[in-house]
Amino acid sequence: MRAATDGGPSPAPGPGALEPLLQRVAGGDEGAFDSVYHAVAGSVFGLVRRVLRDSAQSEEVAQEVLIEVWRTAARFDPAKASAMAWIHTLAHRRAVDRVRSSQASADRDHRVGLRDRTPAFDEVSEQVEHRMEREQVRRCLDSLTEIQREAVTIAYYRGRTYRETAELLDVALGTVKTRMREGLIRLRDCLGVTA
Amino acid sequence: MNDADRMSDAELHALTGAYALNALDEQEAAAFARHLTSCEACTQEVGELQATAVRLARAVAETPPPEMRRRVMAAVGEAQQIPAPPGTVVPLRPRPRPYALPYLAAAACLVVAAAGGGLALQARHQADQQRAAAARAQAQTTRLAALMSAPDATLKAGAVRGGGTATLVASRRLNQAALVYHGLGELTGGRVYEMWYSVNGSMVPAGLLADGHLDGATLLTGGLQGAAAVGVTVERAGGSPKPTTTPILLLPVST
Repeated sequence: MRAATDGGPSPAPGPGALEPLLQRVAGGDEGAFDSVYHAVAGSVFGLVRRVLRDSAQSEEVAQEVLIEVWRTAARFDPAKASAMAWIHTLAHRRAVDRVRSSQASADRDHRVGLRDRTPAFDEVSEQVEHRMEREQVRRCLDSLTEIQREAVTIAYYRGRTYRETAELLDVALGTVKTRMREGLIRLRDCLGVTA
Repeated sequence: MNDADRMSDAELHALTGAYALNALDEQEAAAFARHLTSCEACTQEVGELQATAVRLARAVAETPPPEMRRRVMAAVGEAQQIPAPPGTVVPLRPRPRPYALPYLAAAACLVVAAAGGGLALQARHQADQQRAAAARAQAQTTRLAALMSAPDATLKAGAVRGGGTATLVASRRLNQAALVYHGLGELTGGRVYEMWYSVNGSMVPAGLLADGHLDGATLLTGGLQGAAAVGVTVERAGGSPKPTTTPILLLPVST
C-alpha cells in the first residue's frame, strides 16, 4: 500500500472514455477507432517491442493487434474487462505467440545470458512524458521480493512461460506460479488497481 | 487429459497470476479458461491482475513510428469486422467495478501515442519552429489526455457535412472540450475549419482545427462553461470572429 499513498492522490475512479468508444468502433465508426488508436498505440507498441525486441517485427505485430481491435470490437464485453485490459491482454498474447513460435525452432537463449540481460525494467526508454507512471510502477516493483519481481517481469516483458521462468530462476514450478500471483497481487495493491 | 485438467480448484486458483501474464502454455491456458467460467472469485482476480499488467505495459509505452497509424487506418478501411456472437450484443452499461484510470497514467500514455499521431505532425517547419510546435503539441496532448480520462468525460459523434466524422469529448469538471476528427474534406484557397461554442444562442470562437490536417485531435480554446453545443464552420484563412457559413457539424454538449 506504500506507494499508493506516496504516489500521490488517486483520482476518483470512473469508467474511462474508451469503453463507449469501443462500442462505437464495433459499429464501424472509424473516427472512434482513431481515438482508440491515439489512446493505446504507444503502450501497445511499447509492450510488443519489449517482448519481441525487434523494431520491424514489433511494428508489424502492434499493427496486427490494433487492426484486430477494430475487427473484433464487437466481442469486447465491458462487464468482463476494461477496454485497456482487453486491448493490452490481446497485444501481449500476440507478442507472446510470435516470440514463442519464432523460438520454437531455433533454441534461443543461452540461459545464463538471459538472466544477465535481466534489467527487464531498467532499459525502458527515458521519456519525460511518462516518467510519473514509470516511476510509480518502478517503485511498486521494488516493493516485491526479488523472486516475485523477476517472475513477473520475465514472464510479462520477455514473454516466457512459467516453466521457462522457473528454469531461468532455478526455482520449483509451484514456487514460480505462486510468486507470479503474489507479485501481481502486491503490485495491484501498491498501484491501487481496482479491476 | 492434461495436467491442468487434473488440478484441484486450489491448484488452479494459484494459476491466476501466470494466466494474467500469459505464462501458461496453450493447453493449460485453455483448461484454466474453462475453469474461469465456473469460478467467480478467479474471474475477478484475473480481471484485477490483467488490469495490473496494463500498468506494466503503460510503463514501457513508446512512441510508435508515424507510418504505423497511417497503415493501421488504411487497413481499417478495408478490414471486415466480426459481428458480436449472436445473443451477446450488450448495450453499454457501467462496469460493475469501474476501472480507476489514473489521470497522469492515462495522460502519459496518450501523450506518447499522440506524439506519433497527428498532433506532433504540426511540427514540420524549420528547426526552431519545429521545437516550439512540438512543445505546443505536447502541452495540448497532455491536456487532451487528461480530458479523455476525466471520470465525467462524455463523447458525442457526428458526421461532418462535406466528409468525415468528428467526436466531441467534453468534461464539465475540467471545463474543457476537444474534437477528434477523421477524414475531413480538404479545403482550398486557404480556408480553415473553425470551432465554436454555442452559448445562449450565439457562437463563441473556440479555435481552428490544426492547419491542413484532415485527421487529428484539437482542444477547443476557452472554457466549456455555459456551452450547449459545439459547432464547426468553414471560414476564410485565419478564421473569423463570427461564423459566416452554415455549420457543417453541430454536436450538443451533455449536461
